[in-house]
Amino acid sequence: MLEFSKFVVVRGVLAIFTLVLVSFIVFSLMEMVPGDCAERYLSFKNSQGSMISLADIQAERIRLGLDKPYIQRWGVWIINAFQGEYGDSCILRLNISQLLGEKFWLSLGLCLSSLILAYVIAIPVGILAATSKNAFLNNGLRLVSYLGLALPNFLLALMIMLFSTVMFGDSLTGLFSKEFRDAEWSYERVKDFLGHVWLPIFILGWSATAFAIQTVRALMSDEIGKLYVTAAAARGVSGRRLLLRYPARHALSPIINSLGFDLNRIFNELPIVALILTLTEAGSLLIEALARSNDQQLAGAIIFLLTASIVGINFITDIILALTDPRVRRSIVG
Amino acid sequence: MRTLLYSGVAFVALTGGALAAACPAVTVSDAKGVAAGAFPQQYELAEFQSLGNCTVEFAANPASSDLNARIRGNGALPSLADRLPAEPLVMAPYDAIGSYGGTLDALSNATEAGTSDFMSTRHVNLVRYSDDLQTIVPNVAKGWEWNADFTQLTFFLRKGHKWSDGAPFGARDVKFWYDNLAVDTNVREKPKDYVLVAGEKINVVVVDENTVRFDLPSPKPGLLSHFANHYAQGFQPMHFLGKYHPAVDANADANAQALGFTNGYEAIAAYYGNSDWMDTPTPMLSHPDKVAGLPADTVPTLESHIITAESTEGRHLVANPYFFQIDTAGNQLPYINEQDELFVGESEVRLLKLVNAEVDYKSQSLNLDYAPLLMENQEKGDFTVDLKPEVALGTFAFNVTSENLEKRKVFGDIRFRQAMSVAMNRDEINDVVYFGLGKPTQYIGFSPAPSFASEEMENYMTQFDPAKANALLDEVGMVDTDGDGMRELPNGEPLVLNLQVATQGISVKLVELVGQNWKDVGVNNTVKEVTTDEFRSAMSANQLDVAMYAKGQPLAVILGNAELFQPPFDNYFNVRTGMLWGEYIDTNGASGVKPPEYVYQLMKDIDAFQGAVVGTEESNTLGARLVENTAKSLLFIGAVKAVAPIYHSNKVKNFTEFKTQSYAYYRSYPYRPTQWYLDE
Repeated sequence: MLEFSKFVVVRGVLAIFTLVLVSFIVFSLMEMVPGDCAERYLSFKNSQGSMISLADIQAERIRLGLDKPYIQRWGVWIINAFQGEYGDSCILRLNISQLLGEKFWLSLGLCLSSLILAYVIAIPVGILAATSKNAFLNNGLRLVSYLGLALPNFLLALMIMLFSTVMFGDSLTGLFSKEFRDAEWSYERVKDFLGHVWLPIFILGWSATAFAIQTVRALMSDEIGKLYVTAAAARGVSGRRLLLRYPARHALSPIINSLGFDLNRIFNELPIVALILTLTEAGSLLIEALARSNDQQLAGAIIFLLTASIVGINFITDIILALTDPRVRRSIVG
Repeated sequence: MRTLLYSGVAFVALTGGALAAACPAVTVSDAKGVAAGAFPQQYELAEFQSLGNCTVEFAANPASSDLNARIRGNGALPSLADRLPAEPLVMAPYDAIGSYGGTLDALSNATEAGTSDFMSTRHVNLVRYSDDLQTIVPNVAKGWEWNADFTQLTFFLRKGHKWSDGAPFGARDVKFWYDNLAVDTNVREKPKDYVLVAGEKINVVVVDENTVRFDLPSPKPGLLSHFANHYAQGFQPMHFLGKYHPAVDANADANAQALGFTNGYEAIAAYYGNSDWMDTPTPMLSHPDKVAGLPADTVPTLESHIITAESTEGRHLVANPYFFQIDTAGNQLPYINEQDELFVGESEVRLLKLVNAEVDYKSQSLNLDYAPLLMENQEKGDFTVDLKPEVALGTFAFNVTSENLEKRKVFGDIRFRQAMSVAMNRDEINDVVYFGLGKPTQYIGFSPAPSFASEEMENYMTQFDPAKANALLDEVGMVDTDGDGMRELPNGEPLVLNLQVATQGISVKLVELVGQNWKDVGVNNTVKEVTTDEFRSAMSANQLDVAMYAKGQPLAVILGNAELFQPPFDNYFNVRTGMLWGEYIDTNGASGVKPPEYVYQLMKDIDAFQGAVVGTEESNTLGARLVENTAKSLLFIGAVKAVAPIYHSNKVKNFTEFKTQSYAYYRSYPYRPTQWYLDE
């Protein structure tokens, strides 16, 4: 038990170290983007009728503390970031914590839902695909999963929107109907939300499912041919019991391991889908901030939060793995 | 069942023994025998009653109380007679007396981008341009008066006019806007050009409660037209904002601190956004942590609708229960109960929503590229698309004060700009982008071209002549030294123009074609789509090689606004060049770059032009010289003047066809959206 606690602590420290490292990279990348917050802030002030001179920009840099050494500013930034304080968005001029608010949780929820959807489908279907000798079923599954892998998400989103526009006269955009957009959370708002949210989950989930099916199928195929399975079969274990107790259990560990990676992949796909579907969540804000408005503070904050989520998920899967897989457990406890 | 409420005036008229009948429901299409008033399509109440020999019976929107309840900070609603001014403005609807209700759905790009079109549907100002775009008519002011030499402009306001919270509106609100906001350097570091006359401040005089006079330091006949076509409303609620202004209220800072602000000016910034644009974030968006403790969610307005909800996704508005206009049947305007604005940054998604009839009205950001798809779906989606000429034309402005000195030298060379102009194949652009409906045109500042602008200047350097372009570029010293087919800068460094397109201002297809034309004469470039915010921000930071955006103003606007002829030749929201020239002039030469002589000539001429009376020989001579210097400098290279779509749902009634598709005259404002109604 002591060994296990040590393992958890070490992993936790490693996770925080990763986060700090990533934040350093994010911060460095933000530094490399041309133009800083002082310039962007003043260019807005220009709209109030003031002309910008280089002296104004320098004064603003000092006010914002941008003249301080790079490492010192990173130190302040990381300490604030861990406390959930990311400063103001330069372009939108709003406090980032307030701006992101529930948006980040919406994004995370979308991604986790897609991930869950993917594995709820992929695990049974992948096992079935690995064991079934039915050519028709196998080819059908292969087609669906190849489509999911090959079809870009944004194209799928546009196709569904176009189809819906032509057939039903509804472009299926947004996360809420307009009457619920600014409303407080309520039963009706949740219902309305669920009525909208299935589409991004479906779109993100499809390619994730396709990917997961391929993974599960390959892992199962590997395991099924192994001697311990043959030995178990020789001892008279058969059918579903054989599959689930032996190869499936072995195949599970790499899957749990890859959950964090899958979440990352889904989140990577989220911004472009969100942009097309005009979802009002952090993914679309990220792409706005990164690709269009060069809003360094906002982009940095979202990437930091995202990384924190992935590091967090990896930490949790590590623990789960240690609990479920006797081989891993033994390597820790000795 | 509609409740009828009688105003004091009507009541006196009736009990006074007048046997006048109820007024006929006069519309623009059917005057019902009532003679036209002093101004087209509208009347003052007394004028209308005397012309029709009748009495107007006032009627309120039955939903008024419910809508009022949604405006946080408003008290209980008094009767309609106590909400309307004693002298309401009577609007003759275009086709029919409307019915109340519904929500007008609109699309914008973001909080402060692509919003003016929607804002214009609720806009009011002291006066307005009528839909002929020539006649200035009363609006918030019931009348005005100039003195003989155009140095004193007096506005007569409506007795009993009220803000959307029920507080009285009057002359001191005009003076407050001018003295305590527009020219207060604590609010705005530098007054906007439109509140100055030849760079000097105006003296605003409160003559009496409902009369306000602008005493100008020198003649500016264009000031009246400024208040007719500009987004900046010449008044702000002193009773509300004054509480936080140290010059108005001795306890200003304490009042603001009680609400959680550091000082009074911060509270003013929270409500007023320190800008006359009406789309600056309200406290609902900018101070979500403080808003619940504030006296109201948004600053009181005179507009037809007021914001009740705002987020980064959109805004929602309800009808102003104190709005000052009625129709000829006595119904308080606006007819439309609510407005909803959704922000969609992606132009293709906006198009999809338009095709899908999810929007009731839209003209801004609609390029002609959209027209075929929209027109194809008109019947199915039950909407109408009109193609109308634009005022502004797509222009390309090289950064003549680039931070890169070699680029500054090249872009500042008139031969380079001439080459870039004649390298453009405008006929091909017209065919490909504008279906041959546009007209190749040089940028001359004024649009449409006034009589003093010669055809020669309108067509200056618009011919397609790649040979000449190549020869000029050779002269500039730009040759292909590394043999890659593209010209290098004279010092041998490669040149790749970064063409950042904001689709709100110019069509991507147009830029791509021009980019190809320029590559054909050896000037390399890449095209990238960016948001309007990013475009503006990069332009302000002097980081663009070429700024591209629609540009050009009608004479009426230029009379009140000199920006097009003073470096950097426009404001933050539009396309500019010569940022460092502007800085030089702004700082009296302390920093920046000294502009060439013709720029000083432009600045001198525009001041004189604004002081002259339009149509006189003096004015025409000055105007012609402004046009010539603008065209020949090629600081802004014009491409093709286009037509563009105006979209409206067929549910929107009393919708008249617009004369132009443009920002000038403030978009829908001349066509009176307050009398639109929804037939659902």
